[in-house]
Amino acid sequence: MITKNKPTVVWFCAITCNGNTHSLLSANANRFELFLNSFDFIYHPSLTVDKSLDDILAYEEKIDFLLIEGAISSNKDFSTISNDSTFNLLNKLALKSNHIIAVGSCASYGGIHSKFRQNSDVCGLQDALDENILKTLQHEIVNLTGCPVHPEWILQTLFTLKAYGKIALDEVGRPKELYGSLAHHGCTKNEYFEWKIEGKFGQKEGCLFYDQGCRGPMTHSSCNKILWNDISSKTRVGMPCIGCTESEFPRNDMLETKKNIGIPHEVPLGISKRAYLSMSGVAKTFKIDRLHKKLME
Amino acid sequence: MKTIDLVERIEGEAKLHCTWSNKKVSDARIDFLNFRGFEYILEGKSPLDALVYTPRICGICGQAHLKATVDALENIYENINEKLQVTQKAKLLRQIGLNIEIIDSHLKWFYMFIMPDIIKLDTNDLGIYMPLKGSRWMEAQKSASETIKALAIIGGQWPHTSYMLPGGVMSDPTKLDLVMMQNYLQNTISFFEKSISGVSLENYLDFNSIDNLENLSADLKYFKDLSFKYTLEKYGKSHNRFITLGESSLFKRGKIKQRLVHKLDFSKIVDDSSYSFSINKEENNSQKHTWSKSVSYDESFFETGPLSRAIISNRKFIKEIHKSFEDSVFTRVMARIDEMAFLLFETNKLILQVDVSELSYIKPKYSLKDVENAKAIAVVEACRGSLLHNISIEKGLIKSYDVITPTVWNLGPKNKTQKGIAQKAIIGSPSIEIAKIVLRSFDVCSVCTTH
Repeated sequence: MITKNKPTVVWFCAITCNGNTHSLLSANANRFELFLNSFDFIYHPSLTVDKSLDDILAYEEKIDFLLIEGAISSNKDFSTISNDSTFNLLNKLALKSNHIIAVGSCASYGGIHSKFRQNSDVCGLQDALDENILKTLQHEIVNLTGCPVHPEWILQTLFTLKAYGKIALDEVGRPKELYGSLAHHGCTKNEYFEWKIEGKFGQKEGCLFYDQGCRGPMTHSSCNKILWNDISSKTRVGMPCIGCTESEFPRNDMLETKKNIGIPHEVPLGISKRAYLSMSGVAKTFKIDRLHKKLME
Repeated sequence: MKTIDLVERIEGEAKLHCTWSNKKVSDARIDFLNFRGFEYILEGKSPLDALVYTPRICGICGQAHLKATVDALENIYENINEKLQVTQKAKLLRQIGLNIEIIDSHLKWFYMFIMPDIIKLDTNDLGIYMPLKGSRWMEAQKSASETIKALAIIGGQWPHTSYMLPGGVMSDPTKLDLVMMQNYLQNTISFFEKSISGVSLENYLDFNSIDNLENLSADLKYFKDLSFKYTLEKYGKSHNRFITLGESSLFKRGKIKQRLVHKLDFSKIVDDSSYSFSINKEENNSQKHTWSKSVSYDESFFETGPLSRAIISNRKFIKEIHKSFEDSVFTRVMARIDEMAFLLFETNKLILQVDVSELSYIKPKYSLKDVENAKAIAVVEACRGSLLHNISIEKGLIKSYDVITPTVWNLGPKNKTQKGIAQKAIIGSPSIEIAKIVLRSFDVCSVCTTH
């Protein structure tokens, strides 16, 4: 268990666009300040000035929370950080850490970077870590998927682990309380979904599930519960969910709905096609004027 | 003597090699050693999927990549004689989003990526500027996070929204949304006035002579005083040649070698890999040292970025500073901060021009999946300079996608005849600290440089 008042946090950037770093920097300022007051954020390659990665590697004390951004590869031809492969560095850092948190989809399962086929061993943390090291951790690896991750998901996970020493995870290592619900939950277009009213790009009205490829009903995330940048979400403004918290991301043809004879190929998670079709059929028999009108003229 | 230093606290990591003689850098080399293969990833994908992929080239300038992809795809339509109709509203909402991202980037760069190093020339106590601890640093984080909310209003989130698409934008803001965007930017303006320039934005934008440097107070005065104390107006000079490929209501296209020319011929843009690694191992040899290519226009290297834009677009204050101090560290930093002020003012004006009654999006009649064979390029002015996307589509799929980022212009290696922009700028530095500051003055983004 954590014994010090302020647990130490180390952030390591592997193969990444730095989007999770910028997501963190876009956090609510009060929350970010509380985080910095509650944890000892000793190293981030883009932020801290007093220590290098080599200093951290030489550091004798254990790191309480090791946060990893980016995918991992052992191939030094394509990628080295501080003269070493991200694979080696991850394992060296992991050996000194009590908790490991994958920050973003790339660290969780390889993400977009695993689509670079010419570098065949790009992967997420779980596949790169030595099994013996996994056993020394105080907690299973926490995967905070998302491209990028929401800053609150990082902060809430850290605060929870600090307070309780444990966070409940789903079968792919994501905190249940953050990823138990769907991106669809809380979407302001839900009524259009209920009544099967198709949306169009550039409009406030209608649901993006039918044509624009929205993955909201199939994607585990709290994007419409814990709003982005404190104020909104992609689906709220009219951009379909692209399912970036699920391991199939990025899929093909993300901005269109795959259909068979006019019916979405995939239906909302856990709902049988028969149930979906029955409900849709009923909903579509009613023409509700209000929902076909512009919200405001 | 030779030294090799890892440079952190940029976007990503770089390795700086310096050769020293007479206590000065006599030669330099910059290595970027992380290659993520975006151009390879995009091969064979549906054209519209590029809207999701390319913003993820870079976590800080993703919207520039998004806009470049949208422009390139719209240029594909134009090249097959199916030119799309895009409303003024959609065009404005794209430019506004991109501007907000640039403002956010410049703000973070000043406080997080360059000021700590400049202060360290003077004292090891960073005080209020100490990352993650100092009060000013914390205020800068707050201001950046408030700024980017203005973009989230139309994009839904930042980083990594893909709210722009061929034909317009996905979102349809209300007038109240636009007012909120202005409110958020007003907060940024207040931060600029109180903490950065120490004078009102209006007053600052009237600056037109070198004497106005004396009117600065707050952090820009601190920066200026430290710069002159450690002669940063003398270091960092490169070829003193500038290029801006993009053209908009805000920036003019052009280049300056001996004189300013506004007309450019994009076929003269050529990239070179003599010193850059190849993914085919057998093509690599001992002279290859970086994943960055180099790029030239008409066989010359040019600097791109805020300084280039200010000079080519004739912004007086920076032109005057440049006249006195050329392409030095001091001029480059001032240009970036000046651009932040300029964009804050101009972006508010653009928001006022948005007519919410116009359409956000007009659906193209023709799907890109039906394109048999077409090519197009697009150029966008991103945070760090000119960004070029070059796409070719065959049988409805991406055949090739070439990206030349601003940092390739500025940070790419030498070629057979001349030194790279940053390489030449670093030569002459009297210490490793100054050499690193020179490198930082280009706003290094290694993730973009190699993508």
